[in-house]
Amino acid sequence: MTATDTAIGDDDSLLAAEYVLRLLKPGEEQDFESRLLTDRGLMAAVAGWASRLSGMDDEVAEVVPHRSVKAGLTERLFGAEEKPRSILERLGLWQAVSFASLGLAAFLAWQSLQVPQPAEPVARGPLYVSEIAAEDQSLRILAVYDSDAGRLQVNRTAGQAAPGRALELWAIAGDSAPVSLGVLPEGSGADVPLPAGLRAQVAGLTLAISDEPPGGSPTGQPTGAVLAVGQVTEL
Amino acid sequence: MTTTEDIEAMIARVSLGDRQAFSGLYDATSAKLFGVCLRVLKNRAAAEDVLQESYMKIWRYADRYAAGGVNPMSWMITIARNTAIDRLRVTRDTDDIEDLSEVLPSSGPTPEQAAVAGCEAGRIGICLSQLEEPKDKAVRGAYLEGLTYAELAEKFSVPLNTVRTWLRRSLISLRECMEQ
Repeated sequence: MTATDTAIGDDDSLLAAEYVLRLLKPGEEQDFESRLLTDRGLMAAVAGWASRLSGMDDEVAEVVPHRSVKAGLTERLFGAEEKPRSILERLGLWQAVSFASLGLAAFLAWQSLQVPQPAEPVARGPLYVSEIAAEDQSLRILAVYDSDAGRLQVNRTAGQAAPGRALELWAIAGDSAPVSLGVLPEGSGADVPLPAGLRAQVAGLTLAISDEPPGGSPTGQPTGAVLAVGQVTEL
Repeated sequence: MTTTEDIEAMIARVSLGDRQAFSGLYDATSAKLFGVCLRVLKNRAAAEDVLQESYMKIWRYADRYAAGGVNPMSWMITIARNTAIDRLRVTRDTDDIEDLSEVLPSSGPTPEQAAVAGCEAGRIGICLSQLEEPKDKAVRGAYLEGLTYAELAEKFSVPLNTVRTWLRRSLISLRECMEQ
């Protein structure tokens, strides 16, 4: 376990340790996390330090929390389920969720946590809908476009991203190149603004979902398999 | 006594949405995680809040754990510790520090006690004890309490650059010591 991170320089090894110890300044921490996403050696160093330093966890005394804490947890997590809220909303006040606090061994598509939940639609203009589905129905996403708001409400009704991968949503107008509408969050719902240039063409739009690395396609065009396709039609 | 295998099995069931397994996981591990939160935040109400947030993340990201291969308690403690540090950094100076001296021990196990526990846990204790005082306390202050360089400098009444150098030298020593 410890042999893996001697391959990187001392400076990077120390940086990895400082990252685990949360000693980096916010800007430095963000820069380091960007590097982590693509640098396996650095990631191994972080894992090595986390493992080494975790020995100190034994020095922490156990303290049994009051029963009300568990009850509160159950309420926050499972209460009011008719309106599922984003994980960000459920976390409440501490919305500046740090990457580090999500578990160093689990790297997530960061932007997937930023998408807010849809508000109730107040439809005045026409509504458009699309069922974006895989041929075998293993992945199904219902999209409703509210032309007044210029926003697409997206609800994943079946299926999910493959482990360690992300689902990215694309809009294709006629023969034009696909335009990314963003990476779908891990929750089932998302509210996505439709770029102004596409709004006039919404009636004939094709929507597609592709399989991408965490954070979405690095190229601006789909890089992975197209998993699901749907046509937009007026309700 | 809940073993590592038991905890991994519970996390696996949690990743499939098993609420009973989640309840069992909480019962088996919350005392440790609460201790971790208290050590950082030194405020019961804040620690309770962060404990809940930590388990919400564990619930949400249990499916990610399976791919990690990290010790399950280490993974959960990492989430708790970092969530607590996030909160500490946002609310510093506004939450009251409580007197938790009856609840938190002032020192850890002796190196000998820790060595009996074996593997990494014991080894870092021994390696820390080989550091010149108060460098071992500086390392613990950063890891267990989430202290920043500025706070460590103040705590030990030394300039910022000195405490940075302490940490760097200590980390290199620790790494060498633990590779033996």
